[in-house]
Amino acid sequence: MLLEVKNLTIGFVDTKPTQQVVNQISFHINKGEILGIVGESGSGKSMTALSIMGLQKDSARITSGEINLEGKNLLGMSEKERRAYLGKEIAMVFQEPMTSLNPVMKIGDQVSEMLKLHTNLSKQERLEKTYQSFEEVGLSNPKELYDKYPFELSGGMRQRVMIAMAMICKPKVLIADEPTTALDVSVQAQILELLKKMNEEYGVSIILISHDLGVIRTMCKQVIVMAEGNIVEQGQVEDILYHPKQEYTIKLLEAIPSIHRNRMQKQHNKENEKESADKQTVNVQELSNHANGIGNVSTDKMLTVSNLSVSYYKNGRIHRGERKEIVQEASFYINTGEVVGIVGESGSGKSTLAKAIVGLLSTYEGHVQCEEARPQMVFQDPYSSLNQAKRIEWILEEPLKIQGGFKKKERKQLVRERLQEVGLSEEIGKRYIHQLSGGQRQRVCIAAALMLQSRFVVLDEAVSALDVTIQRQILTLLMNLKRKHNLTYLFISHDMNVIHEICDRVLVMHNGRIVEQGETEDVFASPKAAYTKKLLEAVL
Amino acid sequence: MKVSWNRIIGAILVGIVLLFVIIGVFYTPYDPNAMNGAAKSQAPSLLHWLGTDNFGRDLLSRVMEGSRTTFFVAIATVAIGGTIGTLVGALTGFYGGRIDQIIMRINDGITSFPSILLTLVIISVFGIGKYKIIWALGIVFIPSFVRVVRSEYMVQKEMDYVKTAKLMGASDVRILFLHILPNIRPILVSTITIGFNNAVLAEAGMSYLGLGVQPPDASLGRMLSEAQAYLFSAPWYAIAPGVMIVITVLGLSLVNEG
Repeated sequence: MLLEVKNLTIGFVDTKPTQQVVNQISFHINKGEILGIVGESGSGKSMTALSIMGLQKDSARITSGEINLEGKNLLGMSEKERRAYLGKEIAMVFQEPMTSLNPVMKIGDQVSEMLKLHTNLSKQERLEKTYQSFEEVGLSNPKELYDKYPFELSGGMRQRVMIAMAMICKPKVLIADEPTTALDVSVQAQILELLKKMNEEYGVSIILISHDLGVIRTMCKQVIVMAEGNIVEQGQVEDILYHPKQEYTIKLLEAIPSIHRNRMQKQHNKENEKESADKQTVNVQELSNHANGIGNVSTDKMLTVSNLSVSYYKNGRIHRGERKEIVQEASFYINTGEVVGIVGESGSGKSTLAKAIVGLLSTYEGHVQCEEARPQMVFQDPYSSLNQAKRIEWILEEPLKIQGGFKKKERKQLVRERLQEVGLSEEIGKRYIHQLSGGQRQRVCIAAALMLQSRFVVLDEAVSALDVTIQRQILTLLMNLKRKHNLTYLFISHDMNVIHEICDRVLVMHNGRIVEQGETEDVFASPKAAYTKKLLEAVL
Repeated sequence: MKVSWNRIIGAILVGIVLLFVIIGVFYTPYDPNAMNGAAKSQAPSLLHWLGTDNFGRDLLSRVMEGSRTTFFVAIATVAIGGTIGTLVGALTGFYGGRIDQIIMRINDGITSFPSILLTLVIISVFGIGKYKIIWALGIVFIPSFVRVVRSEYMVQKEMDYVKTAKLMGASDVRILFLHILPNIRPILVSTITIGFNNAVLAEAGMSYLGLGVQPPDASLGRMLSEAQAYLFSAPWYAIAPGVMIVITVLGLSLVNEG
C-alpha cells in the first residue's frame, strides 16, 4: 500500500452548521496502479485530491482521518515537513494548464524550479535535467522551448509541460485532476497516452480524477465513484462500468451520450456474448428515436449559407496587420425542424461561423439567408451570457420590452409560462444568476432564447460546461422544446458523442473549412475526410 | 459588501460627519459670519467649543457651515466629472475604433498635467468663485472616470449577455445603460467615493490658495488658509477644519476599501 486515505472527513467551517464536503472516505492505491475517481462537480473528488496535497481552501477543514504515504501520516506533519513531500513524493497536474503555469515566467525556469527546491543539483545539471524531462513528455526542441512563455504554447503542450514539471522529481504518486477536460479531443488522447507511459516507464502511481467515464475506462483498473462527498461504489473498472450496483452509478452511466455507450456496450457484448441487451440498450433505442424519429422535418429551408468567409486583420488597431482567415467559403443549409451539428476543435472557426449566421458579425463575405428574423443563441457559459446585475424576471422580460406591445401583466404571464416550460419554478424569477446552479442557469438561457418565439436557435457548446447527468436533462429539454415548437437547431459542439446523439446532419470543421458534411449516421459510420476519421478515433 | 471592522469604523466616522453637516443646515450655535470684537482668537471654552478666530467668529459654527460648502463643491464636482466621464468612457469603451484612440490620447494628455496646475489654468480662464471652481474641478475629474469606465465597458461588451441582448434586438443605448451599466456599479461606486475624497482635498487646496470659496464665506480650505497666519498663536484655528477633513477622507476610504 503506497498511499492510504483513511476515514477522511472535510467540512467547510464558514457555514454553520459545518457543511461536510467529504464524508468518512477511505481508499488506497498500490505502487504502479492507476486509480480513477469519477463523480460530478460537487461530489468532493477534487477536494479529496487537494487535501492529499494540502491545498484545500482555507475555509475547508479536515475534521478527521489520516492520509498515509508509505505509512507516514501526512496530516500529522508540520507544514514544513509536509512541503518537502509535495512535488518530490506526490505531485499534481491540474485541469487548466494556462492558469496553473505562471504566465510571466519562462516555462523552463518553472520546471527547473522544482529541482531547485527538491534537489542539490548544480545549475548546469538542472538545465540538462529539464531538457531531458521535456523530451520525456514528448516535447521536441527542448532548448528552444525552455525560453518560451505559457501563452506561446498550445493547450496540449502546456499540459505536457505541467506533466514534465510534476514528473521531474520522479514522484511516487501523481494526482491528475481532470487533466484532459480543457483540451480538444485529439489532444486529449495524446495526453492520456503520455500519462499511461509515465505510469509504465517510471512506475508512478496515478490518481486520475475525471467526470468522463470514457477516460476512466481506458486508463484505470480500479475506480471509485463519488457523489455528495461519499464513496458510492468502488472496485474493478469492468465490474463498475458494466455491472453497476448502486443507483447513482447506473444514473451516471445512462447519462453518457450514445455512441459512447454504444461502443462501451459493444465492447462489453463482445467480451460477454451471452449477456443480452439490457436496459441500457433499450435506452439507446429510445434516445435515437427521440432524435431522429420526430417527423416534422420538412424541406423548407430555414437557413441557407453560401460561400461565407470571415477574416480579420491581426493587430488591427490603427495599422492593418496580417490577414487571418477564420472561416473559408462555408456553404450549407438547414431545413426547418432539423438539428444540424457543427463539430470541430477549438479554433476551427465554428463559433465565428455561428456569430456570422445570427448577425453578430458585421463584416463577412458571402451570403446568409435566414427565414427567422431574430435567430437566438445559447452560449457555453450561462454565467457570462446572463446579466449578473439583474433578476431572472428582468432578464426574461427584457426581450418583450424591447419588442414592445406587451402590457406589464402579459409580460409577467409570459415569463411565468416560459419558466414553467423549461422546468423552473416561478420563484426562480426573483433570484439572481449567482443563486442558481449551472443547469438552472442554462435553462434560463434557453427560456430567454424562446421569449420572442424565435424558431431558429444556435446552441454554441450549450451543454459542454455541464455535468453529464445535467447535460442529459438539458438535452432532453431541448428535444422536447423542439418538438413542441417545431424549432430548428444549429448545434455546435466539440463533443462527438452529443453530436451523434441529437443531430440529423453534421458538418465537420477544421481550420475554418467545412471538410465534411452529411447525415450523422453516414458520417459517423463511414467518415470520408481524414480529419473526421482522426476525430472519431480520438473519441474514447 | 462584506462587513469588516474597517467598514464599521469608516461608517461611524462618515455618520458623525454627516450628522454634523445636517445639524449645521438647521442650527449653528452662532452666525458663522458674525464677528465679535470682544472674543477674538479665544481658545476652546464652554461658550465656544472649538474656540474663535481672529475676528471673533465661532469656529464650531464656521466648521459646520464650511463642511457643508466643501461637501457641496465636492459632490457637484464628482457629479460633473462622473456623469461626463461615465458617458465618454462608456461610448469609447463600447465602440472602440479610431474615435476611441483619439479620445483616449486627449485623455492621456489631460491626465499628464498635475491636476492643480490644470485647475489653475481653467480658473484663469473662467475666473474665481464657488461655482467656477466646481466646473474647473469637474472638468479635471473627467479623465479618471473615463479611464475606469472605458476599461470596464471593454470587458463587458465581450460578455455573452451583451450578444444575447443584441440578438433580442436591443438598441445600443439600451445595452449601454440598461444592460451593462448595472454590471459596473461596484467599480463605479468605489470610483465615485475615491473621487469625492479627492474633490474634498482639491476644494480645500484651491480655497487655501484663495481661488475657490471667497471670504467671508466659510469652507474647510478657506478656513485653513485663514488659519495659516495664526498657526502658532491660535493652533485650534487650523485644527478644527483640519481634523474635519481628515475624518471625512479617512471615513470614506475605510468604507470604500473595507
